[in-house]
Amino acid sequence: MADITKEISPLPDRTPEPVFSKDELVFTDEEKARLARYKAQYPTPEGAVMRGLWLAQEKFGFLPPEVIRLVADELGIAYAQAYGVATFYTQYYKKKMGRYVLDVCTCFSCQLCGGYDMLHYLEEKLGIHKGETTEDGLFTIQEVECLGACGSAPMLQVTNGPYVHNLTTEKLDALIDSLREGRMPPFVSVTLPQDEQELDGNRRSDAEATEAYVTPPVSETVK
Amino acid sequence: MEANNGQTKAGDWRTYQRVLLPPVKDLHRLDVYEQHGGYTALRTVLTDARWEPKAVTEEVKASGLRGRGGAGFSTGLKWSFMPPVDDRPRYLCCNGDESEPGTFKDRQLMEYNPHLVFEGILIACYAMSINTCYLYVRGEYADWISHMERELEKLYAKGYVGENIMGTGFSTDIVIHKGAGAYICGEESSLMESLEGKRAYPRIKPPFPAQKGLWGYPTTINNVETLACVPLIINNGAAWYAGIGAERHPGPVLYGISGHVNKPGVYEYPTGMLITDLIYEVCGGIRGGKKLKAVVPGGSSTPVLRADQIEGVTMDAESLREAGSMMGTAGMLVMDEDTDMVSFLRRVTHFYHHESCGQCTPCREGTGWLENLVTRIDEGEGHLRDLDLLLDLCTQMEGRTVCALADAAAWPVRHTIQRFREEFEARCKPSVFPTGDGAPAEAVPAS
Ligand SMILES: Cc1cc2nc3c(=O)[nH]c(=O)nc-3n(C[C@H](O)[C@H](O)[C@H](O)COP(=O)(O)O)c2cc1C
Ligand code: SF4
Ligand code: FES
Repeated sequence: MADITKEISPLPDRTPEPVFSKDELVFTDEEKARLARYKAQYPTPEGAVMRGLWLAQEKFGFLPPEVIRLVADELGIAYAQAYGVATFYTQYYKKKMGRYVLDVCTCFSCQLCGGYDMLHYLEEKLGIHKGETTEDGLFTIQEVECLGACGSAPMLQVTNGPYVHNLTTEKLDALIDSLREGRMPPFVSVTLPQDEQELDGNRRSDAEATEAYVTPPVSETVK
Repeated sequence: MEANNGQTKAGDWRTYQRVLLPPVKDLHRLDVYEQHGGYTALRTVLTDARWEPKAVTEEVKASGLRGRGGAGFSTGLKWSFMPPVDDRPRYLCCNGDESEPGTFKDRQLMEYNPHLVFEGILIACYAMSINTCYLYVRGEYADWISHMERELEKLYAKGYVGENIMGTGFSTDIVIHKGAGAYICGEESSLMESLEGKRAYPRIKPPFPAQKGLWGYPTTINNVETLACVPLIINNGAAWYAGIGAERHPGPVLYGISGHVNKPGVYEYPTGMLITDLIYEVCGGIRGGKKLKAVVPGGSSTPVLRADQIEGVTMDAESLREAGSMMGTAGMLVMDEDTDMVSFLRRVTHFYHHESCGQCTPCREGTGWLENLVTRIDEGEGHLRDLDLLLDLCTQMEGRTVCALADAAAWPVRHTIQRFREEFEARCKPSVFPTGDGAPAEAVPAS
């Protein structure tokens, strides 16, 4: 029988031990200038909180309470407000993640085109379940909702950055190998089918890499 | 297949010339965009006395342009709701949150023709006398955001955005705002809450954004693709635009087609395309020569259509409404005969449960129970009566919440069950009814 009375997740610890020391918890002058620039783009300092949290996440890797407080203080807004925002959005990491976060889309089109096959392959390959991080701290796997690349399903995103389209197990192998060597995948332009006749496929000469939309694979797990 | 000799509502679509994504190499670069007539529409409205701000709004209204973000509301009419100019700030939000499952067209527009979007934003700002536009792009589109920021910088440097645009005295800033992963931020009032730096809980309407929007000031929200149509309307005239595609829902559309087709992708064609043409002609038919089972025409919240329901149906609001669905975002998902509708629906309900902001009880609890019940059926543990319980639950959710997410969650459940009832029943155990003496009895066998 499926569990229809799922356990309510425990409340987070309100005062966990800080991860970062006082000395680490500072913004450089350049970062402060960026925050000031963001602040000027909104009529209230609160408007800049999402940009501020993004900046802090780029710097610290994730957002434990003391980092959220640092952002709030720098913007001059209430800690509670910044905390509320940080915990509303899924892309803000509230706990330490692997160096590379593999966000595999299993939603909608990706579900029907092998998203779960890719997720399960990765889980087996890395020996972890979704939501977990490998022991060496390199990889975290997450199952995510539609990333807006449904035509090139199945697909994944690496650490809130580049998309990897038209996934196959070979492609996943190559991706993991290159990430182990510290190489992020390039930005890939997926060319429009109509351009293939009219523009030889690729319309951007500055594209780091291109791919076409292809016939999606048959899913093993979910049809 | 009727009317398949090119003469559909979409006209002779085989010879259609693209305008949103015309075949021009490197059109995403400002210099190339300008070489191909870019920013002439903006220059015209700013300098030609004929183009009073009101006249721009009237032109857009006359073009018949309807929003491409999902609801299909008349864009010109929406603009005309903005109150007369006073000393308060006014805002435009360009909605690039694109999170509706099955939708991936705004991303391609931002990648391949971002200046058309910027130009549309600037003309819209002029038409409504707005001095600040926030372009809200979902956080996952980080790469596309940085590409657009680069182009926006060039626009500032050239004096096309910012103070005194093209020396005309008109000023507008564009700020690109990066989201952080929440489907609900695509809902217009949630998007405004998010911009204000709050948890993105949708607001109760009325008041509508034109009365009380961002920071309480008059605001208009339009989708990326909607605004990209605006420079085309100015350059070619409302009549030209109104003449493309379906009469009551005209214009070019970016169809994002995914799923079990041979050639998925984003295609630009007029509205009013036959669904069958899109699947069999444009996308090269069903993968592996399989038979078609179902189509979701415009993103996950639009009701699914069975293969036998799409004959003669065209992609425009009227035809799709008659067929029992909606145009939505024109992000079409195609499913072949092997598709398991129960596990498909299970994943859809999971999405809405995950994305409910939790503000309204019918939605927060309802989406959870939709997922639980469909999961139970998918795992073979459901009972026949669960199907009616699900439909009842949908009724409890529809129209009873702050925003339309609850409806968007209920519609796929209602229609997938109604249109594939046997498939659901076949997965269910017979329902157990209490008998008069209190003992349960097996009553209805699975059909
Ligand atoms: C739950 C929900 C999610 C939405 N997501 C989006 C979205 O991602 N992008 C979008 O343009 N509109 C989205 N909308 C529609 C917007 O609320 C709004 O109607 C639209 O942006 C208006 O622009 P338009 O008139 O140009 O279509 C969503 C609506 C709801 C109820
Ligand atoms: S309907 Fe759902 S998503 Fe919309 S405000 Fe209510 S709880 Fe939030
Ligand atoms: S369903 Fe996976 S990207 Fe849209």
